[in-house]
Amino acid sequence: MKFSANWIAELVPGLAVTPQELGTLITTKTAECESIEAYAPFLDRVRLVRVMDVQPIEGSKNVYAKIDAGPLGMKNVVCGAPNCRAGILAAWVMPGAVLAGGKAIGKARVSGHESEGMLAAGDEIGVNREHGGILEFTEGAPGDSLKAIAPDHVIEIDNKSLTHRPDLWGHHGIAREVAAITGRELRDPVPAVQWTGAPALKVEIEDYELCPRYSALVFENVTIGPSPLWLQYRLETIGLNPISNIVDVTNFVMAELAQPTHAFDADLLKGDTIFVRKARADERVLALNDEEYSLDEQALVIADAGGAEAIAGVIGGRPTGIHAGTKRVVLESANFLATSIRKTSSRLKVRTDASMRFEKAQDPHNTVRALARCWELFQLVSPGIRMAGGLIDNAAPMKPPPVIRLELDWLNRKIGRVVPQDEVERILRSLEFGVTEPEPGVLTVIVPSWRATKDISIAEDLVEEIGRVIGYASIPPQAPLVPSAPPPPSPEREYQHALRQSIVAQGFTEVYNYSFLSQERAARFGFAPESHIQVLNPIASDQGLMRVSLIPRIVQNIEDNARHMGEFRLFEIGNEVHKQPDELPNEIPHVVAAVYAREGDGQAGLFELKRLAEIMAPAMLVERSNEARVFEHPQRVWNIHWQGELSGRLFELHPTFCEHGRGAILDLDLDALYRLQPPPARYKTLRRFPVSEFDLSVVTTLGEEVGAVQKLIVDSGGNGLLTVEFVRQYIGAPLAEGEKSVSFRLTVGVADHTLSAEEITELRERVIGVLKAAGYQLRM
Amino acid sequence: MSLAATLQELKDSALVRIAQATTLDELEAIRVEAVGRKGVLANAGKEMAKVPKEERAVMGQLLNAVKASIESALDAKTTSFAAAALDARLASEWVDLTLPAPGVKPGALHPVTQVQRYLEEVFTSMGFAVLSGPEVETEFHNFDALNIPPTHPARDMQDTFWLEGGNLLRTHTSPVQVRGMKRLGAPLRMIAPGRVFRNEEVDPSHEHTFYQLEGMMVDREVSIAHMLYFMKTLLKEIFQRDVTVRLRPGYFPFVEPGFELDIQCSICGGAGCAVCKQTGWVELLPCGLVHPNVLRAGGIDPRDWNGFAFGLGLTRLAMMRYGIDDIRLLQSGDLRFLNQFR
Repeated sequence: MKFSANWIAELVPGLAVTPQELGTLITTKTAECESIEAYAPFLDRVRLVRVMDVQPIEGSKNVYAKIDAGPLGMKNVVCGAPNCRAGILAAWVMPGAVLAGGKAIGKARVSGHESEGMLAAGDEIGVNREHGGILEFTEGAPGDSLKAIAPDHVIEIDNKSLTHRPDLWGHHGIAREVAAITGRELRDPVPAVQWTGAPALKVEIEDYELCPRYSALVFENVTIGPSPLWLQYRLETIGLNPISNIVDVTNFVMAELAQPTHAFDADLLKGDTIFVRKARADERVLALNDEEYSLDEQALVIADAGGAEAIAGVIGGRPTGIHAGTKRVVLESANFLATSIRKTSSRLKVRTDASMRFEKAQDPHNTVRALARCWELFQLVSPGIRMAGGLIDNAAPMKPPPVIRLELDWLNRKIGRVVPQDEVERILRSLEFGVTEPEPGVLTVIVPSWRATKDISIAEDLVEEIGRVIGYASIPPQAPLVPSAPPPPSPEREYQHALRQSIVAQGFTEVYNYSFLSQERAARFGFAPESHIQVLNPIASDQGLMRVSLIPRIVQNIEDNARHMGEFRLFEIGNEVHKQPDELPNEIPHVVAAVYAREGDGQAGLFELKRLAEIMAPAMLVERSNEARVFEHPQRVWNIHWQGELSGRLFELHPTFCEHGRGAILDLDLDALYRLQPPPARYKTLRRFPVSEFDLSVVTTLGEEVGAVQKLIVDSGGNGLLTVEFVRQYIGAPLAEGEKSVSFRLTVGVADHTLSAEEITELRERVIGVLKAAGYQLRM
Repeated sequence: MSLAATLQELKDSALVRIAQATTLDELEAIRVEAVGRKGVLANAGKEMAKVPKEERAVMGQLLNAVKASIESALDAKTTSFAAAALDARLASEWVDLTLPAPGVKPGALHPVTQVQRYLEEVFTSMGFAVLSGPEVETEFHNFDALNIPPTHPARDMQDTFWLEGGNLLRTHTSPVQVRGMKRLGAPLRMIAPGRVFRNEEVDPSHEHTFYQLEGMMVDREVSIAHMLYFMKTLLKEIFQRDVTVRLRPGYFPFVEPGFELDIQCSICGGAGCAVCKQTGWVELLPCGLVHPNVLRAGGIDPRDWNGFAFGLGLTRLAMMRYGIDDIRLLQSGDLRFLNQFR
C-alpha cells in the first residue's frame, strides 16, 4: 500500500519531519515501511509558461515555440505535441532537470534548433499516463510552480502489517497515527453536510450480516471529463490510474478514508430499487475489468430490477459503469462482511483495491463520511453537479463501541515498566479512544469504531497501543525472577543427535531431503502410490506424495553426487509419513545411510554400513532376506535384528538403480532403536583365574554363512565357553573346489578355578562332536 | 719392572684399547682380557704375594683403582655405544606424516543441524525444554488454536500445503506452543525446532521446505521487558557479540502485542545497504506476548499466567552464519556444498 508523504502532511498540519523520519516513525510505532522513495523530485525544475509563438520546422512535425517563463525570461523550445499552440499555459521542464528513468533535460539541438528544456506531457512528469499532447493549464501565471503538483515521497507500507488495521488503508488513518506519534492535531478532511430531502432511490438488503450498511447518493447534471491535474497527480503518485473525474474522486476518497465507493450510471440502472442480495446460481456479471464472472449463492451482488450489476465489495459491472456520456450517477458507499468479500474475491481470483479493504473489516460508521467527502469533491471536478434527493442510508443497528477495563498496574506489569497515568490517557486520547477513570488506577476505555471491527477488543490490545507509542526502545530489558531448574529432558532428541555425531565420525555427511515424492518415483521403487498421503495442492506435479521411505531421495542423492565424486558417504535422519485412518499420520524417524564407490565389487561398502549399524545397534544381527524389493540386489540384502526385533535393512542397490559403480544403503527405524536401547551395562567382577584359548578350523561349503557355524559353536560350548572369535577363512588347496575353511578362536574359562587340561579337552571335544554331527569336517 | 709400573702399563694399554674399540664385541673381549677372572689383572693380583708386606696394602689399593678405572671406562664406552645405537635407530625412523591418514575422514553435519544444536544448547542452559511436534498437523493446531479462525486473512499470509484427509503440513513451528502447553502445563519454558512447509515457488531466496525454531515462556509475571531480555541474550549467543536491536509492532494473531525484532545490519553497520534494503535493519525475530486465546487453547488460564513467544528462522540464521546465498543448496544433497561444513 502506497502513501503520499505530502498527503499525510496535509492531514497533519505543521508536521515537521522528513519523509525518511516519517517512515522510521511509522515503522517503529505502527506498521512496516518497506521503502520511502522520492516521487517526481524534478518538479522543482518545472514551471508554468505561456506559449507565445509557434513556428513550423520544415521537414519535421516538431514546432519551434517561443515561451514566456515570467521572471525567468523568454525561452525557445522544440516541441512535437499536436496541441502546442500560442496562448496556452504549459509545463516547462527547465534544463538541468532529471526526469524519471534518469532522462536528463538540457539545452539540445532538435530538428536544427536549440531547445532550452522541453514542454511536458502528463506521463513525462508523472502527473498521469497521457502522452497524446503537452499538459495545458487554466490557472496560474508564467514562472509559477505547478499548483499542487510538487515533489513528493511515496511511503510503501507492507500490506501484511496492515492486515488487522482496516483504518490504515487510507491516508487519514495513517495521518491519525502520525499525529498521535508526533503529538500534533489531526485534520479531518470530511466536511459537515446537512442531508435534506427524500431519498431518490430505495435500497433493499437481504441479509444485514453480509451487508450491515448501504448508503448512497444520487447525482444529476454530471459532466464527465478529465480530473483536475492535481487530482490526477495525487492518484498517479500512489499508483492509481486516473480515469475520469467521477471515478477519480471515488478512488481518491478510498485512498483517503479507506472506504471504497462505487459510481453507477443511474440511467443504466433498471427500476428505482437497489437490491443487496446473494447471487443466483450461474448469475453472470461482466465486470469493469472486462472479465465475465459466473457467480453462485456464496457471492453477494448489487442488483437492480434487471439482475446483478456489481459483485459487492469486489468489482463493479461494465454495463452500468460511468462512461463519457453519463449524466446521472448513483454513488454507493456500503459496508460488507469481511469474510464474505474475502471468500468471493479469492474464489473469483480477483483482488481489487476495494476487496483488499473490505476483507480487513471496514468501519460501518464510515460510509456516510465517504459520501460527504465525495460530494464535496464532485462539486469541484464536475461544476454544476446537483444532488437528486437526499441521503439513502439502510443500516442494521450499529453495535455499541466496545468498552475495555484497563488496570494501570496490570498494564505496567505487562509492559515491564511504569507508564505514568497521564501519559497513558494522552496516548489513548490521541488515538481517539474515549477514556474515563471510574476508580483510582483503573481506566474505562471506549474503542473508536474504526478500531472496533476486529482489531481491538481486549485489554491486551491496549498494551500494544500504549507500548508502541511510548516506544519499545524505552523498555529496559529485564531478567525474569523465576526458579532456576533443569528443563524436562528430551531423551529421544538427544539420542538422535548422539547418533548423528557417531555417523558423521564414521565419514558420513548429513543431507536434508524433501518430504515429497512423485507418483512415478514411488511406483518405480515399488511403493504403491495409494499408500502415500497425497498433497492436494503440490508445488509441482512431481511433489504430490508424502514419502513413506527416505530411500528414493537418497538414491537420487547417490545419482547426483556420483556425477562429481568417485566415492562418498551420506546419510539423512528424517520422518517417514504413514497413513493412519482417522488420525494424524504416523511419522517414524529413520536414519538412512549410503556408501557409494564407482570402483570395486561393493563388499567394502556393505561392511562399512555393517560397522555403522553395529555402532548404532551394538551386537545387532544380520539375516539374509529372501524377498528383495525391486531396488535391492537379490543376493545382497539383509534384515537387521536388534534385541530380537526387526529394526532395519541393509542392501546393495540393484544395478538398475545404480548404473555406474555400487551403492549400499542402510535403513534403520530410529523409533525402534531408541526403544530397544539396552539398559546401562552392569559391571562383572574381573576374572581371577586365567582363561585358555584354542583355535578350531571348520571346513564347509562356500555358500555357508560363517555366522551359522559360529552360532553352532556358541550354542554347543556350554558354560566354560566365554567367546568365539572369527580368525580367518581360507579357500584353495588342499581344500576341494567349492569348499572353504573357517578358523575360530575359542576362549574358555570359569569363574572359580583354572580349567584343567582335561576340562578344556572335554569342552573342545564336545564342540567338535556337535560340529561333526552337523556334517562339518574339521581341519587339524 | 715393578708391580706398580706393570699395573700402570696394563691400565694405560686397556684404556687406549677401550677408547679405540668400535664394537660391543671388542669391548667384551677387552673386558675378558683385562678384568676377567683369568685376565691380566687377575694374573697381576697373583704377583701380590711377592710384594713386601708393608707395601701390600698400597699395592692392593692400586690394583683395585686400576680395575675400577678400566671397568668404568668399559661401562662408559658401552653406554655410549647404546646411545649411538639408539640415535641410529631414531634417525632411521623418520615418518612422512604429510601422507593421508588411513581410513575415512569424518563427514559433516548439515549446517542447519549445526545451528539448531547450538541454539538448543543455549536454550537448555537457560532452562528451556526442547520439544517436537508433528510435521503433518491438524488445521486446529496450525491455525485455530493459534487464534487464526478459518475466516482470518492471516491464513492468506501463509500458503498452506493441504493433504488428503483434511490435515496440512505445518506452516510454522507455532503449533508446538499449544502441544507444549498441553503436555507440560504452566510454568513453562520451551523451544521447538523443526521443519515447516509453505506453498511457495522455489528460488534462491525462497523454499517450500525450511526450518524454524519456536520459543515460548509462560509464567506468573511475563512482560515485554522480560521478553526483550531473553531475545537480547539469545542474539548475543548467536552472534557472539552485543547486537543492537529494534522492537517494532508486528502483526501475528497468536500474540498480543506482537513485534518484529530487527537487528542492526551487520554488513553496513546501520548505514543502509542492499542486504538491509537501505534501512539499516534486518528483520530477524517475530515475537510477542502470548494471546490469551492461545493460552486458553493450551489449557492455561490467562488470568493467572502470562507468556511470550518467538519464532526464529533457522534456515535464515544458517545462511547468515555461513554466508550461504542460495537457499536451495540446503535441500540439494550436494556433497560439494555440504562437505564444506566439516
